[in-house]
Amino acid sequence: MSDTDPGSESPRLTRRGFLRKGAAAAAGGAAVAAALSPLRDLAPDDIPTIERLFQKHYKEMTPADKERIFARIEREVKARHGVKTRLTDPPPLDGVEYVYALNISRCIGCRKCVHACVAENNTARAPEIQYIRVLQMPKGSQNVESSDHHYDPPVVPQPDSYYMPVQCHQCAKPPCVKVCPTEATWQEPDGITVVDYDWCIGCRYCEAACPYWARRFNFTEPEVPEGSLNPDMSYLSNRPRRKGVVEKCTYCLHRTRRGRMPACVEVCPTGSRKFGNVLDPESEVAYILRHKRIFVFKEDVGTVPRFFYYFDERGSRYHEPIAPVQPGADA
Amino acid sequence: MDPQTAAFDRIRAVAVPAVLVVVAALLGAGLWRVPEAVPAAQPVPAWAIDPTPIRRPVLKPEYEVAGFSMRCSDCHDLFPSPVETDRPLTQHTEIVLKHGINTRCFNCHHPTRRDFLVDDRGGEIPFDQPPLLCARCHGPTYRDWLHGAHGRTDGFWNKQMGPQEHRKCVECHDPHEPPFPPMPPAAGPNTLRMGEQGAPHEPEAVHNPLRIYQQGAGREPVAGAVAGEDAHE
Repeated sequence: MSDTDPGSESPRLTRRGFLRKGAAAAAGGAAVAAALSPLRDLAPDDIPTIERLFQKHYKEMTPADKERIFARIEREVKARHGVKTRLTDPPPLDGVEYVYALNISRCIGCRKCVHACVAENNTARAPEIQYIRVLQMPKGSQNVESSDHHYDPPVVPQPDSYYMPVQCHQCAKPPCVKVCPTEATWQEPDGITVVDYDWCIGCRYCEAACPYWARRFNFTEPEVPEGSLNPDMSYLSNRPRRKGVVEKCTYCLHRTRRGRMPACVEVCPTGSRKFGNVLDPESEVAYILRHKRIFVFKEDVGTVPRFFYYFDERGSRYHEPIAPVQPGADA
Repeated sequence: MDPQTAAFDRIRAVAVPAVLVVVAALLGAGLWRVPEAVPAAQPVPAWAIDPTPIRRPVLKPEYEVAGFSMRCSDCHDLFPSPVETDRPLTQHTEIVLKHGINTRCFNCHHPTRRDFLVDDRGGEIPFDQPPLLCARCHGPTYRDWLHGAHGRTDGFWNKQMGPQEHRKCVECHDPHEPPFPPMPPAAGPNTLRMGEQGAPHEPEAVHNPLRIYQQGAGREPVAGAVAGEDAHE
């Protein structure tokens, strides 16, 4: 067979050659288009603006910067979630260092704290991000590795188990802060370790460094159902996060810096959760630290947590039905 | 070149780009997608985030009779109850006393002045101050409650910034059956770090570090791979 076609202007252009090259070009073009097709899923605010690229670090923002940046974030939240919100930035209170105490004699493992936290902090519902994990452990043991956070009996507490919720311990020597390569996370004067979600590059070093498994990473664009976004939000705590950043418990600083209790404390039906200012000798947590039996979870890792577990002289007897003394019956 | 090879070449010259074009078109049109790895969000029941205490007692000496709210003394001033014996109740039969060894009504209720509770010396304790009554037996718990180490503290942690309220004993405990009632737990975690999405819990496989990997490959966890299951220190 010959590639030359008598009568054609160019001896190199044949029907077969044209078809072959044309098909290859079409396939190539289509493949490029297919490779770029994920771009169609981008929302307009996914494309970084100059303003967002050159946003200052939180600690370098002047009040005027904050006003401008917060207004922009409010616009972005409005565009994405359709909710008018007020982004605030309550400062740390003078003479306040937050401490958390949790009575594991009284915790019944109902997980209400977990879900109140999710609702308050606008964490992703799919894939689920939860700051609190409630560990179920057999009484008389404390093996975290064999503990169970998937427990699902008809009712809690189960007689042979106790429950230990774990969340961010707001360490005084936070290893997660030490490893951050971009200084996107730091410890505030009131002891709360916060994340600037706009400076986090998503390397997850902090997640690996945390001995309490307290940090969470947004693997996908976090999904918060319509209508359940909590509009009371602050820059350093519960404003909506984006895909690819790390987040963590902030002791609900948008509430606690205004004197309110964190959501997990407020919802606890048993009153096992205690929160307050440890520098105030009259506070509940100061009393608990002075007078109750305390233990620090993983004390040996030396991160000096501001989260303490305590227990009562005698454990709660919710599981032991005490047989009434029968009148007239001999002992 | 024999005709068969030539025909094959010709078919291939068209077929390969055609297949590529179809695949690319499918990808580009979004018809051919990897299924979502993330399950849809499950709504949380309202009770799971409801912060109200489990009991709302009236804290008054009131009793409901046939829809009317009566003071205890309305009847008991007219009809003094008989001396307490171990016979079954004829009135107030809906009250089942399951308070451990405390099996007598008049251990807590005042025997003659029925609008009050009774203290150790036979004095009166108002109905709106139940902690004074409970303190008679539950001293350490009362001490803890006074300092906020036991029981709910609602409102603000900082009393200068807002009201704070210590919930009283009977706002969590039923005085006639005091243990905190068991309740169904709210939904457990279904997070990416905490196991396969929606997988039923397998207690024996919790601490198998390869569990997620093995489940992802469609394999059951290997029986021998479970380590340290009886390492209860």
